[in-house]
Amino acid sequence: MNSQESVPAGPLLDATRRHFFGRCGIGVGAMALSDLSLREARAGSALKDKHPLSVRPSHYRGKAKAVIFLHMAGGPTQLETFSYKPKLGELDGAPPPPSMLAGKRFAFLKGKEKLLGPRRQFAQYGEGGTWLSDLLPHHRRIVDDLCVLNGMRTDVFNHGPAKIFLHTGSPQMGRPSDGAWVTYGIGSEADDLPGFVVLQSGPRGPRNGAQLWSSGFLPTTYQGVAFRKGEAPILNLQPPAGIEGSSQREFVAAVRDLNGLRFAQVGDPEIRTRIAAYEMAYRMQSSAPELMELSGETRETLKAYAVEPGKPSFGANCLLARRLVERGVRFVQLYHTNWDHHGGGEDINTDLPVRCRQIDQPIAALIEDLKQRGLLDQTVVVWGGEFGRTPMGEERKTVGRDHHIEAYSMWMAGGGIRGGMTYGISDELGMGVDDEVVHVHDLQATLLHCLGLDHTKLTVRFQGREFRLTDVHGRVVEEILS
Amino acid sequence: MGARRLSSCWIVTVAALAWQAALSAAPPVDFNQDIRPLLSKYCFQCHGFDGQARQADLRLDTAAGMAAQAATGQRVVEPGEPQASALLLRVTSKDVDVRMPPAEVSDRLSTAEVDLLTRWIQQGAGWAEHWAFVPPRRVSLPQVQRPVWRRNGIDAFVLAALDESQLLPSHEAGRATLLRRVMLDLTGLPPSLAEGEEFAQESSPDAYERMVDRVLASPHYGERMSRIWLDLARYADSSGYANDRLRSMWPYRDWVTEAFNADMPFDQFTVEQLAGDLLPGATQSQIVASGFHRNTPHQYEGGSDPEQYRVERVKNRLDTTGTVWLGLTVGCAQCHTHKFDPISQTEYYQLYAFFNSANETKHSVASDEQQAAIDRLEAEIGKLKAEQKLADSDQGKLKTRLAELSKSLDTLRKSLPTTLVFREPAKKRITRVHRRGDFLVPGEQVAPMTLSRLHTFTAPATGTGTRVDLARWIMAADNPLTSRVTSNRIWQHLFGQGLVETENDFGHRGAPPTHPELLDWMALELSETGFSLKRLHRLILTSATYRQSSRTRADLSAADPFNRKFARQSRHRVEGEVIRDMALAVSGRLSRKMGGRSVFPPIPPNVIGTSSAGHKWPTSQGGDRFRRGLYTAVYRANVYPMLSTFDGPDRDNACTKRTRSNTPLQSLSLANDPAMGELFHGLAERLLSECAGSDGDRVIHAFRLCLGRRPNDAEVARLRHFCDHQRAHFAAHRESAQALSAKQRSAGVPAEEFAVWFSVARLLLNLDEFVTRE
Repeated sequence: MNSQESVPAGPLLDATRRHFFGRCGIGVGAMALSDLSLREARAGSALKDKHPLSVRPSHYRGKAKAVIFLHMAGGPTQLETFSYKPKLGELDGAPPPPSMLAGKRFAFLKGKEKLLGPRRQFAQYGEGGTWLSDLLPHHRRIVDDLCVLNGMRTDVFNHGPAKIFLHTGSPQMGRPSDGAWVTYGIGSEADDLPGFVVLQSGPRGPRNGAQLWSSGFLPTTYQGVAFRKGEAPILNLQPPAGIEGSSQREFVAAVRDLNGLRFAQVGDPEIRTRIAAYEMAYRMQSSAPELMELSGETRETLKAYAVEPGKPSFGANCLLARRLVERGVRFVQLYHTNWDHHGGGEDINTDLPVRCRQIDQPIAALIEDLKQRGLLDQTVVVWGGEFGRTPMGEERKTVGRDHHIEAYSMWMAGGGIRGGMTYGISDELGMGVDDEVVHVHDLQATLLHCLGLDHTKLTVRFQGREFRLTDVHGRVVEEILS
Repeated sequence: MGARRLSSCWIVTVAALAWQAALSAAPPVDFNQDIRPLLSKYCFQCHGFDGQARQADLRLDTAAGMAAQAATGQRVVEPGEPQASALLLRVTSKDVDVRMPPAEVSDRLSTAEVDLLTRWIQQGAGWAEHWAFVPPRRVSLPQVQRPVWRRNGIDAFVLAALDESQLLPSHEAGRATLLRRVMLDLTGLPPSLAEGEEFAQESSPDAYERMVDRVLASPHYGERMSRIWLDLARYADSSGYANDRLRSMWPYRDWVTEAFNADMPFDQFTVEQLAGDLLPGATQSQIVASGFHRNTPHQYEGGSDPEQYRVERVKNRLDTTGTVWLGLTVGCAQCHTHKFDPISQTEYYQLYAFFNSANETKHSVASDEQQAAIDRLEAEIGKLKAEQKLADSDQGKLKTRLAELSKSLDTLRKSLPTTLVFREPAKKRITRVHRRGDFLVPGEQVAPMTLSRLHTFTAPATGTGTRVDLARWIMAADNPLTSRVTSNRIWQHLFGQGLVETENDFGHRGAPPTHPELLDWMALELSETGFSLKRLHRLILTSATYRQSSRTRADLSAADPFNRKFARQSRHRVEGEVIRDMALAVSGRLSRKMGGRSVFPPIPPNVIGTSSAGHKWPTSQGGDRFRRGLYTAVYRANVYPMLSTFDGPDRDNACTKRTRSNTPLQSLSLANDPAMGELFHGLAERLLSECAGSDGDRVIHAFRLCLGRRPNDAEVARLRHFCDHQRAHFAAHRESAQALSAKQRSAGVPAEEFAVWFSVARLLLNLDEFVTRE
């Protein structure tokens, strides 16, 4: 927490005393109580425990305190990144075995598409011998910190529902998102920044927008705060042009004093919460610019993340994510778009390498930076998209693959996760998972577990039933825990 | 669906407090109030309505099941003899293998809960049907200790409960508070100074009632009620999901407002929205009304299976109907028979069948003038066509004229706004049960039918039941639920919380009503007097209970911390739309234009465009910048930030109650949003032009405009100190004052002075009291 310039005391106390003694005719005992409340309200920090985002105990001791969720929006191909399928290469151009397609539904495939072999070279790296394609050279340095999940499975094969599913556990809109559940469950350690922050980069915003960081039926306190591009990331952080310095401080003081007077009259504790909210808002006004100010970072750090000051990028957001968790922010969702490589517009041969270059180095820098600062043990980093891509190619002008909901890849790293391992064995063509499947609900259960939250106990009653992030499913994947 | 019993901590705390209260009062145990919730919480999952999930062939949701013999030989419940009742022995057993519920299913019963169960058996173990499934009963008004306080029937019930707890009601709120409360509750706009003066000076004994009548007659009443109803209708101006296209749905929104203002009886209001398109000789208005269930999100993403998302929409319609009219969580029976309420999976799909066939179409909406023009053109075209048949006519001239008229008609028709509606095809879709809720795994075929546990369904003479029949079944006199659910929601709006706390769940897992007889009385007042919502509003508003002060009381904080006994009014923050509407009103900027296309008020930069849908925000100009929040365009994937910061609903499912959070982002929004800045500006101009006096006079004027009451001396002193401070500040920072007053229009006012009043305006609109209805 930053040291704060304190809001000056107004003439409240005197006015209040006169008010109490002169007019109200309420007893001295009541006066003393109200006076105490007012002083407490003024102390700001004394109210910390009353704030809905204040830290709450988890169900049990978790290894991690924060989450950085790197969402590659559009669904990155596992077959050119983490999941090596030599057999698919051998059968390149052949029709897929009919047994493989029985009962399967796809978004765009018409049924005549041929198998498409991996378009990149693979090799094994690190002590764990993790397979990586040549699109991710910087990942070689961090591969022993990653647990690659090659048996991912989700339920829905269109972007919108699949994204909502990944973050809320339901393909329908209206449920709380992962970050909302976590801040609802254990609050946030940052008392001058939002507990749940959303960062975005890439050619366009992620589909579904705010539905992905919604608080659903939880109070909006727990909704993700999407940082805007530019210097003022938090909406409405700047007072109107012309209000600054002592004018703004006196505004905050007067709001507090007049609210305090009303509290003395009507005694509604909600007024005290509002006083605290205004004081925290005021603290945010000074802490957020400090957060965004990268000049304190060394040249090496900026270079490592491939950050060009003043220019928005995935790398800048990775660095920002580290700064956020460093300041106690609980959950950071980070979207990078245009991974929808169907061929045609976005293709595997030319566009995918560009996309990978944008993320490869910054992600390696993020993991190394977190580690160097001792934060990796306390932070779970998740990488992946809403689904993966089919072993069959699409019949389009350039090379691409359709959406695939079985046997795709994600990875987890950091607090509570075993590094240097691969979990999940898909069949030799990458169509389905033979063993070690991790369903999206399992991923969610595991993520919560790392934070000390039991996914079956983090529930809220709504419309007659208990809801939770994992619906009625989910298994903590014990095998990948450290 | 999920049947987890693990509540979060605070729910448990609330329950514990409630139990403590119940024990200390020690009234006779009431099955519905005290015992059924217990059984529902601990037992019904395995010993309830769902035959497939039932264990040991034992059911505890029926009287017969309770009287049956348990495996141990004892009866499940032996009236009068707790120690001979298997139920009690099992829940209190020290042997973990014997004790119910099993540890892996749920926590054990608390001592207080065991005590209740014991006393219930001691007192004869009376069994009763779930309260909400028994039609409301009218009872005579209870005797009370202070009849003089009573103004109408509502007060008798509230007072009787207070007498029982030895609590006193609160005194009546002052006139200024009452006026602002009534106006905010019924119109969502603050009283003007003139309205305040008028009411303050009116000396007739029925001054309050007359004020209520004036406010009820205001067209803004319809706007306020619409906002609540549109939350239930999950109204938005876009399709949702990834593409989130803008769509034209506002004619339906206007229909709702007009219906409220005309006090359309709630039964008609229901039938037209569920089945307006099916009514014989359906009018344009009735067809528009059928848009209620077209407010569902709609998936347009490439590569999606249309049937999958059509099914989602039908299910959403079903769940919404259950929530809005029945207060039942019908949706829980989608994948399997409901665990707690008597809704089988087959019944779910029988209800589904009512909605399954409707085609989703658009309807062009003509105003009266447009319709008249269309009628005129059609008549003339008809006449000319008849003339064409005559041998001696000038065929060439006729043909030209006909072409002209047809083109005019076509142009006119194309210019009409559209709205989404239903149209029922002659050929019905076949409905099958979806096994495990999966539409790809069809089961047995079913026909439209209502829930068997509720009142009887009157089937049509021929063919299968339609949405009209369903709507009539919902509004039938012997429906035990709908009038209660509706009255409860109105009470919730006027008191901050319902008599039934779980306003969306009147089933076995819902909370029992705090005042069951009052709820029944209001439900019957509604249904037996023609379903007039304005009448019910007036009834509640003119009660002494409503007119109480909302101030906290030390005795109540201890005895009734959640104000469940209504010994005072509620003091709560108003919705985001109302906050903005109030700010618009006091700033003098509010446009009172009603209805029409949704508008795009100023929005901060870089907000639109956070999703890939390619949202556009063509910021409205002129008066449309300052329309009420009801008319602000809503993208589901990108809600107007101020409304979303203040707990705007997700608009994907029916929202029966908005949360009221209190967060720093709300503070930032009110203090710094440039759109609010325009309103501070407006209020500053207003203060400078309306009040020429001293700082003291002007701050009092400003305070009254914003808060509807006179400030006390301490408040005036603080405000004057603020003025002094700001004046000194801006004298030393002229460039800041210039920036604030750049566009001001008050003649002859120096920039520094304008800046002071801008600051005062900002201060007042940021006070807790401003955003609060007291």
